[in-house]
Amino acid sequence: MKGIIFNVLEDLVIKQCGIQGWNEVLSENPEATGIYTASESYPDEELFGLVGSVARKLEMPVAGVVETFGIFLFHQLAERYPMFVEQPENLREFLLSIESVIHIEVRKLYDSPNLPNFTYDESSQDQLVMHYQSPRKLCILAEGLVRGAAEYYNTPITIEHPVCMHQGANHCDLIIRFGNV
Amino acid sequence: MSDTENPFEIAYARERQARLKAEQLLEDKSRELYLKNQKLEESYNRLQQQQAVAMQNEKLATLGTLSAGVAHEINNPLAFVLSNLESLPIYKQALLRLLELNQKYLKDPGVPENYRNEIADLIEKEDLDFIGEDMHGLIDDTIEGIQRVKEIVLNLRSFARTQNCDRVEADLCAGINSTLKLLTSELKTGVTLKLDLQPLPGIVCNPNQLNQVFLNLIMNAKQAVEGRENPTITIKACCDDDAVRIQIADNGCGMPPEVQKEIFVPFYTTKPIGQGTGMGLAIAYGIIKDHGGKISVKSAVDQGTVFVISLPLWGRAEGAETGVAEAVSD
Ligand code: HEM
Ligand SMILES: Nc1ncnc2c1ncn2[C@@H]1O[C@H](COP(=O)(O)OP(=O)(O)OP(=O)(O)O)[C@@H](O)[C@H]1O
Ligand SMILES: [Mg+2]
Repeated sequence: MKGIIFNVLEDLVIKQCGIQGWNEVLSENPEATGIYTASESYPDEELFGLVGSVARKLEMPVAGVVETFGIFLFHQLAERYPMFVEQPENLREFLLSIESVIHIEVRKLYDSPNLPNFTYDESSQDQLVMHYQSPRKLCILAEGLVRGAAEYYNTPITIEHPVCMHQGANHCDLIIRFGNV
Repeated sequence: MSDTENPFEIAYARERQARLKAEQLLEDKSRELYLKNQKLEESYNRLQQQQAVAMQNEKLATLGTLSAGVAHEINNPLAFVLSNLESLPIYKQALLRLLELNQKYLKDPGVPENYRNEIADLIEKEDLDFIGEDMHGLIDDTIEGIQRVKEIVLNLRSFARTQNCDRVEADLCAGINSTLKLLTSELKTGVTLKLDLQPLPGIVCNPNQLNQVFLNLIMNAKQAVEGRENPTITIKACCDDDAVRIQIADNGCGMPPEVQKEIFVPFYTTKPIGQGTGMGLAIAYGIIKDHGGKISVKSAVDQGTVFVISLPLWGRAEGAETGVAEAVSD
């Protein structure tokens, strides 16, 4: 995982628990150096270890932390890369641009990033189905990112997650319904 | 939070800002570098492609000169071997008549005995009876063999004529037929060949190069139908208002879309090392492009493949540079 993801986690923990809190999380994970540069890759396990410690600290389930982190991550990314959120007119367009624009641009900035694969079912006007596929199975993070995006575009959504890699499927289906349902 | 007054945290926030700026700078440079690198890679690939085609063309030109030269050298001795051979049946006839005459005298008591014995011994010792019979077959086979050599040399010469950039008016059907003759032995192995060649108007082209295209496509078709049921290659030629269309179809293994995308790329091959260089279609593409024509392919896995070449009727020499070939695959 790229350092930028670690940086954002650091920001989140510092915001919630202060610098001291982050130092504690780091000392619980001796393999984690705490020195992260945005464009460098670090082991996924290191991030998962840190997230585990954060969950224990906040007394939250890991999935909850990952989702909260996803929401926060979206806002940070949007701040860092305003062009990606300014281009699309609405949430639906933005979500479609993840695969066709954003993650492609990411490849220009970062040397061989580990990105997920998204395909879309656009057949319905009031919902969008995102098929998520990644060996890292970070579908909950994706949910969080989508929720963050929904906040940004002021669009109420509901997310259903009927097919999931954690249940043995080879991909996840995220059904995103737009508007107050 | 209450401890935001902590000077270290203020410094931390400042440092964080500074780091973000630095990273921003790095990213701008990375993006620039990426784009430049992409352009470089593109031109490098283009260059490599051009170089490969040029190299292969050069090789083919050399091969053409070489085979034309060899054909010419063989042709001279061939001419007198053939003319000598044509006299042999007459000579044979004369000698056989001598043998027959001797046979007759052998039975004639009027001929002195010692003379008859001597002749009988010689006939037996040299097995002249057998030679007399065997000679017919030997001479006929030899003449037939030499005729075949003559034909091969002729095909080689018409195929490898070396005026490489000379455009002449030519009949493409004749070219297809001479290419097929060259391939007779390749196609002997049970491949059904269906021809539907309608008369075509002559077009200004380089017939040697177009023969090369037909050869490459027919060879590919032949390789694609190998080991398949009811192997068939269909070649059609027709003409409409503005173009001549040649279609070479096979019911062979076919290609999936991802292969179709690559086939015109030099050195792209799915064949084992030593069996294909992957230049066949790259060259065909280059030649058709030179002629201002198009080459397209339709293929379905396990069903077969159709290549269609269309060449503008007014194949003009001056149009060669501006002509665009489109490699269409769908
Ligand atoms: C401004 C928008 C975005 C940017 C700049 C961005 C960039 C990135 C980057 C840099 C990574 C890390 C790659 C690595 O560690 O090698 C990443 C991973 C990821 N991104 Fe995005 N992303 C954006 C929006 C989104 C959104 C809205 C989603 C929601 C579906 C998403 C889904 C993911 C997921 C799930 C991963 C984790 C890797 C994995 O699952 O394999 N991204 N993205
Ligand atoms: N008629 C066909 N049917 C199926 N596949 C074909 C056909 N023609 C070409 N191909 C595919 O396209 C590839 C490229 O063909 P090309 O003629 O350029 O090279 P090649 O036949 O592999 O080698 P060579 O240089 O000996 O011709 C082949 O390896 C084969 O996979
Ligand atoms: Mg070939």
